Amino acid sequence: MARTELGSAPSMPVLFARAAVTARGRGGDLPDTRLARTGVRVAAVDLAAYDRVCGFPLADPLPAPYPHVLTFPLQVALMSDRAFPLALPGLVHVRNRIEVLRPVGADEALDLEVWAERFARHRSGATVDLCASVAAGGAEVWRSRSTYLARGATAPEGAPESDLAVSVGDLERPVATWRVPDDAGRRYARVSGDVNPIHLSGLTAKAFGFKRAIAHGMWVKARALAALSGRLPDATAVDVVFRRPLFLPSTVTLATAPVDGGWDLAVRNAASGVEHLVGTVRPLP
Amino acid sequence: MGDWYRDFANSGLGSTLVRQLGLPRPAVLRRYEPGAPLLPGPAVVGTAGEGRLHGVLTRVLQDAGVPVLPAVDGDGERLAAVLLDATGGTSPADLAAAHAFLAPALRRLGPSGRVLVLGDPPSAAGSPTQAAARQALEGLVRSVAKELRDGATANLLLVPAGAEAAVPGPVRFFLSGRSAYVDGQVVPLTAADVPAGEHEQRPLAGEVAVVTGAARGIGAAIARALSRDGAHVVAVDVPAAGDKLAEVANEIGGTAFQLDITAPDAGQRLVAHLRERHGGVDVVVHNAGITRDKLLVNMDAARWSSVMAVNLQAQLDTTQALLDADGLLGSGARVICVSSQSGIAGNRGQTNYAASKAGVIGMVRAWAPAFAERGATINAVAPGFIVTEMTASMPLGTREIGSRVNSLQQGGLPVDVAETIAWLSQPSAAGVNGQVVRVCGQSFLGA
Amino acid sequence: MAPLTRKAAIVGGNRIPFARSNSAYAQASNQDMLTATLDGLVARFGLQGERVGEVVAGAVLKHSRDFNLTREAVLGSRLSAATPAYDVQQACGTGLEAVVLVANKIALGQLKSGIAGGVDTTSDAPLAIHDEMRRVLIALGSARTLRQRLEALAGVRPGMFVPETPRNAEPRTGLSMGDHQAITTKQWGISREEQDELAVRSHQNLAAAYDRGFFDDLVTPYLGLTRDENLRPDTSVEKLAKLAPVFGKDDPDATMTAANSTPLSDGASAVLLASDEWAASRGLPVLAHFVDAQTAAVDYTHGGEGLLMAPAYAVPVLLARNGLTLQDVDYYEIHEAFASTVLATLKAWEDPAFCKERLGLDAPLGAIDRSKLNVNGSSLAAGHPFAATGGRIVASLAKQLHEAGPGTRGLISICAAGGQGVVAILES
Repeated sequence: MARTELGSAPSMPVLFARAAVTARGRGGDLPDTRLARTGVRVAAVDLAAYDRVCGFPLADPLPAPYPHVLTFPLQVALMSDRAFPLALPGLVHVRNRIEVLRPVGADEALDLEVWAERFARHRSGATVDLCASVAAGGAEVWRSRSTYLARGATAPEGAPESDLAVSVGDLERPVATWRVPDDAGRRYARVSGDVNPIHLSGLTAKAFGFKRAIAHGMWVKARALAALSGRLPDATAVDVVFRRPLFLPSTVTLATAPVDGGWDLAVRNAASGVEHLVGTVRPLP
Repeated sequence: MGDWYRDFANSGLGSTLVRQLGLPRPAVLRRYEPGAPLLPGPAVVGTAGEGRLHGVLTRVLQDAGVPVLPAVDGDGERLAAVLLDATGGTSPADLAAAHAFLAPALRRLGPSGRVLVLGDPPSAAGSPTQAAARQALEGLVRSVAKELRDGATANLLLVPAGAEAAVPGPVRFFLSGRSAYVDGQVVPLTAADVPAGEHEQRPLAGEVAVVTGAARGIGAAIARALSRDGAHVVAVDVPAAGDKLAEVANEIGGTAFQLDITAPDAGQRLVAHLRERHGGVDVVVHNAGITRDKLLVNMDAARWSSVMAVNLQAQLDTTQALLDADGLLGSGARVICVSSQSGIAGNRGQTNYAASKAGVIGMVRAWAPAFAERGATINAVAPGFIVTEMTASMPLGTREIGSRVNSLQQGGLPVDVAETIAWLSQPSAAGVNGQVVRVCGQSFLGA
Repeated sequence: MAPLTRKAAIVGGNRIPFARSNSAYAQASNQDMLTATLDGLVARFGLQGERVGEVVAGAVLKHSRDFNLTREAVLGSRLSAATPAYDVQQACGTGLEAVVLVANKIALGQLKSGIAGGVDTTSDAPLAIHDEMRRVLIALGSARTLRQRLEALAGVRPGMFVPETPRNAEPRTGLSMGDHQAITTKQWGISREEQDELAVRSHQNLAAAYDRGFFDDLVTPYLGLTRDENLRPDTSVEKLAKLAPVFGKDDPDATMTAANSTPLSDGASAVLLASDEWAASRGLPVLAHFVDAQTAAVDYTHGGEGLLMAPAYAVPVLLARNGLTLQDVDYYEIHEAFASTVLATLKAWEDPAFCKERLGLDAPLGAIDRSKLNVNGSSLAAGHPFAATGGRIVASLAKQLHEAGPGTRGLISICAAGGQGVVAILES
């Protein structure tokens, strides 16, 4: 296993550009590489901007999904590397599980590590999990697993089946309606660094085969968790699947139901009922 | 809403021009200012008869710090007032003394001067000769009023024997600026108990006064005058005028009471309000009134009945309610009802209004004895052409004619009506009861 | 032992007629309306130059310049400039909460007199600049060098010039209050007919109260308006049946129309409270006493309760504390945010399951005599300028209790945004 430690966050536009020009001719197995940063501190101004865009109160500890913003650039660096078997353009985020092992203080020095694993077979291609672990004071405090689907890709021989099953109970009652504006993608891109062109404008999204710009899945997830602010367990696992793209602008509803000390939740199109996100929030022991 | 013609006629160029053209030159009237002297100059007091009031008159003047001259002759200082005690005359021949006294004195009368004649009531005369002599004074005074210029007025007080105590209050009123627009009037007095020690500038101190129709115009001016004279004013008007009413109440430190005086329970509500908030009432001014003008042949029933309801029936009903309320209307209470020149002279297009306002006069006269029994008074004030928001909307020609056809050659102001009402509210006006005092500048209409 | 508190007296009230949004008061600000309302109260009770103990009022929709709205209104009024004032805000409960605050201070002997009120305008509503534009301007303001200023200005985008308008929506749910109530309406099975009948009765009761002069000493005209602009004395169930639903429209059986929901309105109200001694020393009446109050809130976001159902929870607590049953009340004033709010609340109190499971009661509170409900009309007819409704109800109910005679008891129930409720008992 190779572990590479970066001194600073990589430049996302550069990574996306590199990934685009090196998209062709990829294949093979997942690299046994881990990228890491140590002693990372959260800038208050960045956190405030993120909170504002996602609807979290500006507070300490960090919102459950926030460390993803720190680890995501490393994951992109991993995926844009030539050694990564799948082309980053065209990868679709289909599932995300975050585990907060304990609340993470906004002023803590964080050690980040990311890697890829579980190349798996899917009926329309292959999936891969991008994992992240965040430690503070030598102990793991937060971890995540993002599953990406590469349509038409082939998983290696003997790969397991993709796991995209998150089961939720009855979620009939919408508790909120949001109008998601057409600049939601640009706004989240500014605070997360995820400048994937499919989120930024209708024009750039069309270039990648979408009729309109689509909202970041991680923004939808963050927005839903923000609606449950103050009602989340301290140690918690938030597991969601992203079903259909949320085109911008849209009006969506959030439905929640309390289950097992946590929540089941769904974000749907307000008019058509199309499901964008369903997931569970469960306390960790 | 000012009197442009009066202002022009009193300007440098204007005064020359109107003199050359022989046009009327309306004066700027002397009006009451709290703290101002009763008269701006000396007064002369004469007698034509036994002169039983000479002493009273002299004392009123001296108490007010007015220099009193004996009879005058030839040129000299301008006089602010000429007072003639013509009581005790027995035959028309006695009037020669009046002529002898007045002629030289009037020559020296200054601007907004006052001529006040006191005589005996003709109705109490012992003989036709005596009655003739007494009645003759009325013709004399009314004519003098028409001859006077520069805002001067002439009025006649009729003082029966035994009513001497009632004299000072009315005398002070007719000499002061409060009576600026009261001219050519004959006011009979009656004997009455006049409380002593009335405060000169706050004669209504500690009293509670109700003024209906107080939201604007003459009613607001009445409320201001009564408040200035020391009363706590309960300003009444229809709920729809409540915002203007509140402004008036707040300006004068009174209270606003929104009430439709034509409501069936209006009297009870007014009584309940006065009892709860003030325990009683000392002065009631029935001022609320409306006009719904049309020639009689074209007048619908609604125009007729609404005017009668507000202008007359409401005055009858609320007065009765106040009288019926035990202990509410104190002894010494004053009720003043606003009538109108139209009620005296009639007016084309105002059959309803004139009827209601004439009715008020009948009401006042009929109620006077009952009021007298309680030591209270009820009187009417009949305004002539008063410059208000209402007259401002009249056509220029009508307005100009209306405002000039009187001895003072100008329209009166709401404050002139208010001052007369404020005077009738005073304790010292106890001797005036059941009377109609016109505030019309000696209008030629219905005179 | 002598009681440590005394009950505050309600001396009287004043309000301006309520206007429909963007109508008679389109040019009036909250401060204008509150000042006029205070001045009307001053005129009614002869308070010119008086130093009232405290003036407490608020507005739901407030401009940033109105941070000291009530004090500014006092300074512009005929009250003594030495009268202290402060603002409160509890959404539609603002007016009643202001009364509670003043009454409590009087009860504790901290005040001898006080004025409670509220005002709202949906016409002169605050428009905020776009949030990102605001941040650019804040950055510009703190920039020290030309370079910093240019950097700040470089953040300006065309879209930022579009102002943000306040929406009548719950921030946490994005649903309008009407859409929230539509859920409750359906949940409680409130029919269209019931709602329309309640609306018609509100108009009829308000019109009758005006006609008998009930409001003569409660309302002062303003800007040419002498009665509540929304009042339709001649409305009927037949006329209302023709209207199309405006809330919960996704449901084919939607029942909530513009007529059985309160319109956006502009207006202000104020109530004069005092100790009995203060009132007596000025010859002022005591219409009623403020007995007690209670607030409650419900979890309407994730808790499954209706947004406007909090009063249903507050009332039993208040009644129990005062040893009363729901039927011990002579007059009920239940704020008509929507006709169905009133009806759902009444149904909830009659429902054994709701009363047991949600309220924790052994038996339901039971039905009320509907002829004692909102006898002088309520918000459906009068309109509902959010913070002004509490003062309207307190003054009207106090007068009603006074007219009915000593010992008459009234219950006020007001629902508020954010899933809140404020309720109170008055007694003559």
